[in-house]
Amino acid sequence: MKAVAGAPMEYGEAVLEHFRAPRNAGSFPPGTPGVSEAATGTRRHGREIRLSLKLGNDGRIEACRYRVYGCPATVALCSVLSERLRGLSLDEAGKLSGMALAEELRLPVPKRDAALLLEDALRAALGGYNMAEKRERA
Amino acid sequence: MSIYLDHNATAPLDPRVLEAMQPWLAGMHGNPSSVHRPGRAAHDALESARAQVAALVDAQPAQVVFTGGGTEADNLVLKGVCAGRPDGKLLVGAVEHSAVLGPAEALAEAGWEVRRIPVDSEGRYDLKALDALLAADSVKLVSAMLANNETGVLQDVAAIAKRVHAAGALLQCDAVQAAGKTPVEFPALGADLMTLSAHKLNGPRGVGALVMDRRVDLKPLIHGGGQEQGLRGGTENLAGIVGFGKAAALANEELKARTAHSQELRDALEAEVRKLPGVRVFSGGAERLPNTLQFGIEGLDGEWLVMELDKRGIAVSSGSACHSGSGEPSHVLTAMGLEPAIAKGALRISFGLGNTGSDVSAVAKALHEIMTGRARKMAAVGW
Amino acid sequence: MSVNKIIYMDYAATTPLDPKVAAKMAAHLTLDGVFANPASVHAPGRAARAAVEEARHEIAALVNAEPSEIVFTSGATESDNLAIKGLARFRKDKGRHIVTSRIEHKAVLDAVKQLEKESFDITWLKPGADGLIQPEAVRQALRPDTVLVTLMHANNELGTLNDIAAIGRLARANGTTFHVDAAQSAGKVPIDLKQLDVDLMSFAAHKVYGPKGMGALYVRREPRVNLEPLIHGGGHEQGMRSGTLATHQIVGMGEAFRLAGELMPAEMERLTALRERLWTGLQAIPGLLLNGHPTQRLPGILNVSFPGVEGESLLYACEGLAISSGSACNAADREPSYVLRGIGRDDQLAGASLRFSLGRFSTEAEVDAAVQLVTTQYRRLAALAA
Repeated sequence: MKAVAGAPMEYGEAVLEHFRAPRNAGSFPPGTPGVSEAATGTRRHGREIRLSLKLGNDGRIEACRYRVYGCPATVALCSVLSERLRGLSLDEAGKLSGMALAEELRLPVPKRDAALLLEDALRAALGGYNMAEKRERA
Repeated sequence: MSIYLDHNATAPLDPRVLEAMQPWLAGMHGNPSSVHRPGRAAHDALESARAQVAALVDAQPAQVVFTGGGTEADNLVLKGVCAGRPDGKLLVGAVEHSAVLGPAEALAEAGWEVRRIPVDSEGRYDLKALDALLAADSVKLVSAMLANNETGVLQDVAAIAKRVHAAGALLQCDAVQAAGKTPVEFPALGADLMTLSAHKLNGPRGVGALVMDRRVDLKPLIHGGGQEQGLRGGTENLAGIVGFGKAAALANEELKARTAHSQELRDALEAEVRKLPGVRVFSGGAERLPNTLQFGIEGLDGEWLVMELDKRGIAVSSGSACHSGSGEPSHVLTAMGLEPAIAKGALRISFGLGNTGSDVSAVAKALHEIMTGRARKMAAVGW
Repeated sequence: MSVNKIIYMDYAATTPLDPKVAAKMAAHLTLDGVFANPASVHAPGRAARAAVEEARHEIAALVNAEPSEIVFTSGATESDNLAIKGLARFRKDKGRHIVTSRIEHKAVLDAVKQLEKESFDITWLKPGADGLIQPEAVRQALRPDTVLVTLMHANNELGTLNDIAAIGRLARANGTTFHVDAAQSAGKVPIDLKQLDVDLMSFAAHKVYGPKGMGALYVRREPRVNLEPLIHGGGHEQGMRSGTLATHQIVGMGEAFRLAGELMPAEMERLTALRERLWTGLQAIPGLLLNGHPTQRLPGILNVSFPGVEGESLLYACEGLAISSGSACNAADREPSYVLRGIGRDDQLAGASLRFSLGRFSTEAEVDAAVQLVTTQYRRLAALAA
């Protein structure tokens, strides 16, 4: 079954620790103000992420929640990102790189595409604010 | 009290090796290909044994492929390089072990052209003859052993490698009998492939290894599961491999002392043996393994001598254990041009860990007794 | 070592050595034991040969074969390779058609694929949704030039048991050699080779509390089956498998098979009850699916699919439980279980499946702890994804 050939995939302790106790998992209650949501991936392809950001009155990210279906690396990435985003401005958040997070967690190379999927979700969620801003200005 | 002097047939397991194997015999039962924790510990043990075996022969761990023994490793090389490929020619040494000659014969039956490299009267490969064989037509693979299991003679593998490579062929070196008894350096030998066996160096039986240049395109003998980088399917014999690793590490550490010890015993016995009437020491004029002494006594049946010594609690052999009891003179001695009369009288004594000077005296005494008794008997029947 | 704290439920992957087996092996290794080369003529050699023959007898006895029909190998993978490639290459002039299934063990699949490259014609039978190969499907696949049918007795992932008696009769009637991989079933359920039309059967020691790196192949004498050897050399094992016999490994397998035979009736009953307890306990999870036939199966294996969670996470979440999963967890193997895909499970269910395999040292307390752990972790992952 499972491991047919080669070495077992080794996750570092950081990945396993976040996987065992993911931080900030879940979503905001319906109608919470300042929330932007984005979803990427599909279950059929093995990964699905729904990321929700909540912007504070100071224009900085107050909290991040997520729902995740995927491998331990995907779960750990969501958990780390949710901690990292807190207190960042939208510009700062936009500069976060999924690959940098993957490096930080020392993800095995075949698992790094999970970081790209997460980055897509982040960009899409941040994009939601930009749209809202544009609408306001208009 | 029995005396074991047949270490070239198999060497008893070193108790320190058994100790290293014990945790893997009891309790730690992970399959190295599994992802869960016992599986990971098994994976680490496997890789550390690979490094130990590599270190013994000065190779890289990635060059080591574990097999189910030396015979399988030799088969893997010969068939893996030759079988199912457009024809070339295969050269095998005339005094190779049956683990090499067996697959060579099978390849010959399948249509491969197989030639034998002759030896001189001391059992050394004839390099001029090798040159001629290499020059004649396109050779794909040459198989030449490092140390012969019967006579203990050491071949000049580095010189053979130069010639083989100049002819664009690959060299396989069966180092099963040499490793642990004499220094073996894979890079210095220049072979592309080299085979090893754990039980010849006081490791467990049922484990061997192929040390190889990874650029060689080798087809697996045993398919399924993808273990050993696809070269050898099957759940790894972990306790055995860990034992092989430990045995290799011990041999590596203690090689000088072991060599000196067995050479001292062998030389002492050889001096005694040379006093027997009609005796001839095989490969006596060549460089040999320090632990091996093979000799013949004119007109005597070696198997009879083995049994006579056995009655006195001394375990030796006439030659290769694989051919014990066949009654035929060995192919090694025949290739050396020895007369059947003396080749059939062959006796091989091989020293190893645990042998002492008193073993030498006991064997020498027994041999003298047997020979005197026989002379008396023959005199009585009027021969 | 943390290894000892976890619950081991992966007996189908490998089993620990029974302490009695370990003791017997240790007595056949060092200078003070029966260590010599069984091919040697001297007294230590003869003692080793006697030990080897006694073990051969034990192994034959478990499956009601003759000792002379047992050939020692380095494991079931080698046995499968020797049986399949050895038979096909020996009989290639008689025909080049082979019948097998898509859910065989890798050792069989890869050996058959190698023969496909050597221009053998292969019929890959598809199992039913219950994981079984129907004898009728074999009957339809047989042709006059079919030289070999190779099918497993028990499937290693599902635990399902093929009807090798019926399949054997069909093969025999067609003049076709029948090879059965019994690595998972020998020692777990009764096998009587005198009653079965099986010509070749592969065994592994390490699936039955014996050593790894040790196996055997049953080669029927009447009617005689001929093979081309895989490993040539000194002509050991009637010329079918050369190489110095590893006495300690062989006596280990002999003792393991003897014990398996002795304990089988009680173990079958006990493991069936444990498996039922596990299945019942897991019913708290909604939508759980059993993989494979519900009754025609080994006592100790339960394979289930979990809806709505990702497979690799499920496996990692169950750390503390040594278990196998249908998910792909390493770079070399990115597909979910081909066996579960083969019986029609989609990628999600094939990936999110766990194989619990129970054995000699499994207890009710372990089963209960496993149920607790899996249920809790399943709920956690399902909530994370909801």
